[in-house]
Amino acid sequence: MAQPRLIFGVLLSAAVSAGAGMAAGQAGVGAGQATVRVEPAHLSGPRALAEQTEQAAIRDYLESWQTMCAALEQNQPGLLNADFTGTAKDKLSETIHEQEAAGIDTRYEARAHDLQIVFYSPEGLSIELIDNVDYDVQVFDQGKSVSTEPVHARYIVLLTPAEVRWRVRVLQAE
Amino acid sequence: MNKSGRLLAVILGAVTVALIVIGTLDPSSTALAYAGGQGLVPSSSTPELAVRDLAAEIGMREWGRAYGSLANKAEFTEQNFQNDLTGYYLSLRTYATLDHFQVRPLHATANDAEMRLVLYWSTVVGTSVSTRDLHVVRDGDHWDVDWPVAKKPDVPPQVIPVNYLRWDVIYPGAGDDWGEQNVEAPHVRIVDMHPVQRAEGVVILGELLNEDIVPAYVSVNATLLDKEQHPIASAGSFDKISHILLPKQVTPFFIIFPNAQLSDVKSIRMTPFSTLVPASADPVIAIDNEHLNPVPDPSLTGQVINQSGQVVNVAHVLGTFYDKSGQVVWVAGEYLDRALLPQTPEAFDIHIPEDLARDISSERTVVATYSERGEQ
Amino acid sequence: MTGLSAMMCCAAMVLVSLAAGQAAMAQSSGLTLPSSIAAGSAFSIQTSGSGAGTLYIVGPGQVIKRDVQGGGAAFISAGSLHNAGQYLVILTGNGPSETQALTVTPAAQPAALSFLAKPSRLPVGLSDGITGAVYVFDAYQNLITAPEPVNFELSSPAQPEQTRTVITRNGAAWTEMNSTAHQGNDKFVARIGSVTSMRVVEQVPGDPCGLQMTASPAGSEVKLATAPVRDCSGNAVPDGTVVTFTEAYGNSQSTVDVPIKRGIAAVEMPAHPGALISVASGVVMGNQIRWER
Repeated sequence: MAQPRLIFGVLLSAAVSAGAGMAAGQAGVGAGQATVRVEPAHLSGPRALAEQTEQAAIRDYLESWQTMCAALEQNQPGLLNADFTGTAKDKLSETIHEQEAAGIDTRYEARAHDLQIVFYSPEGLSIELIDNVDYDVQVFDQGKSVSTEPVHARYIVLLTPAEVRWRVRVLQAE
Repeated sequence: MNKSGRLLAVILGAVTVALIVIGTLDPSSTALAYAGGQGLVPSSSTPELAVRDLAAEIGMREWGRAYGSLANKAEFTEQNFQNDLTGYYLSLRTYATLDHFQVRPLHATANDAEMRLVLYWSTVVGTSVSTRDLHVVRDGDHWDVDWPVAKKPDVPPQVIPVNYLRWDVIYPGAGDDWGEQNVEAPHVRIVDMHPVQRAEGVVILGELLNEDIVPAYVSVNATLLDKEQHPIASAGSFDKISHILLPKQVTPFFIIFPNAQLSDVKSIRMTPFSTLVPASADPVIAIDNEHLNPVPDPSLTGQVINQSGQVVNVAHVLGTFYDKSGQVVWVAGEYLDRALLPQTPEAFDIHIPEDLARDISSERTVVATYSERGEQ
Repeated sequence: MTGLSAMMCCAAMVLVSLAAGQAAMAQSSGLTLPSSIAAGSAFSIQTSGSGAGTLYIVGPGQVIKRDVQGGGAAFISAGSLHNAGQYLVILTGNGPSETQALTVTPAAQPAALSFLAKPSRLPVGLSDGITGAVYVFDAYQNLITAPEPVNFELSSPAQPEQTRTVITRNGAAWTEMNSTAHQGNDKFVARIGSVTSMRVVEQVPGDPCGLQMTASPAGSEVKLATAPVRDCSGNAVPDGTVVTFTEAYGNSQSTVDVPIKRGIAAVEMPAHPGALISVASGVVMGNQIRWER
């Protein structure tokens, strides 16, 4: 059975390779860094998932996390354009507008991603993955911190292909 | 100044004077052209100079002066003369410029001569060569050219019903269309592919089939891969393909990798590309009298006949050549620089490399066309 | 949420009022609220204590900020919190802030389907040639991840309907269908309850089958015409499909690519006695005729 792969510090890394297996053991997390574990894909669809496709989807998804964090912290919905589309983009943009209106900004800092691709639709137009993610949420009101909380959530993510990358269409925690 | 320096100065001066005299008495055609076609010595003093004068004026598009110098100008108008050279209808020749020309004497007497004028036209798709055999006659102290004008092709009045299919495409509007249905790209398939090593590099030959029921705009890209499956080079078929394919139509393609070595290539990744485009099943082009001519000057000759009622402005004849086993061994083509008029044959002559000619046992010819009125 | 028990008491006392259907309640020393609600449900959070405070509901999917009075209730009306996801509910006031987790689940009722059907055009007679994938969403565009049965139906005028029922996993379901033997526009429908999404799949004829031509004299030419061109299932190959006629004579040949018109392809070519005339369409060869006249 294929073993999960660990990738460290990907959120600060410019290039993320889901296929690059790395030695286990380093669980320490620095500011802005997260451990990433990629479980072998467990697909329910008929379409085979090429390794390059898997790598690209995971790389693009992890980049989208960075983008989302930056957009929510800076209250800049325009940052979402490259990585999000459809419902996910609409909802995140609306959240940012709500934050702006309320004088709030939020800092999301991922500590660990545990990823598994669970569906690759037969026509190749969507990939669904599960991300068991641990992150800290810090909430600021008028620049003053009002709360910092650790969160564990199971995110279900739907990615769809754009011109040169996969974009997040659904990002939903359970 | 020492003695040797003085000698050098004298020699240089003598050579300069000699070159000026030679250039004046026998100017090159280019120099003549830049000089406005007029030499210091009357240029029509010999049959060859008369033809050179005329060619230079054609090159400068000095139609009036060129027409005025002709011996037989009473037989046609200046406009006929101009159209004979630039085309009666929009074609590659319409915007071509004369790059250079050659004049060869064929036969001469005291009062007339036969001269061959070869005109090399620069067109948007490369050089187009046309050859005219001219009769030159003496008129006192100078020579005039009889221009063998090709008059406007006479297409008999007729009604040609055009009721072939036309395909139009409606695409969905802009916006996020994920999950919405889109127009399916045509299904195309490479039915033959064969790499060969030539002196100029690696050449990939093949054929592409539109196996769909809709027309397709097609092209083919190839990537050479080394033993580690790393790309060596990528190239496309460019114009060595018939880009518009009707349903079940086949086109050859030809991709060249200059300076590449086939021995360095482990595998080749072929990427056919197709997109749905509006198209018409008209015009139908027949290819008649296709003939493979053997060495020493191997070629494929024949005529194309536009069977439809509309003028085809540009025609590109593509020949696919096969060996006895049916494998593609060469692809070559020729642009016709004249418009194809309805029901009017136009000859083509596609050169075949001599070293391949002996291997060729059959061929297949297709014609890609462009009409000002239509898409194809 | 863990670690909250260490938090100090806050400005508000806990009082919770749940909307109908909310079961479990989370409670800290100053804040009590349902641990989970359905998207768009109305619910209220009541606070204890005294003095003015601020209530935050924060998540990537939505942010709500309310002024609250200690001991009062913050009523979240129906439709206000509608994006599924994990939220932090934070209450600040005179003392340390209070935080609770809140999960918003998708509404139970499907309201929309994203239906990916491919291809939109394919030849007849292909097994599993048509695929459909569905994502199920509620009225707020939340992906419904609870298992739901999805019916896929492929119907054509001339063939029995093909149906499949597939249970969604993680909000997605997919199926494969066969293209039928008859050309035409088939309806491909995904259905869940009363929610449907339809796509049209055009089934088109396959390659010509048994291509046959006849030759007859026409003045100095020979008139060539195919029989009605059909695929192996008997479907008429559509007009516009190219048929190639080749006439070989001596060392020469003539070729014409002719589109099918009204079901047949026809052309006139020069009549050369002894010529061998052949017909083909794409990679399919037809019959040959020796023209002896």
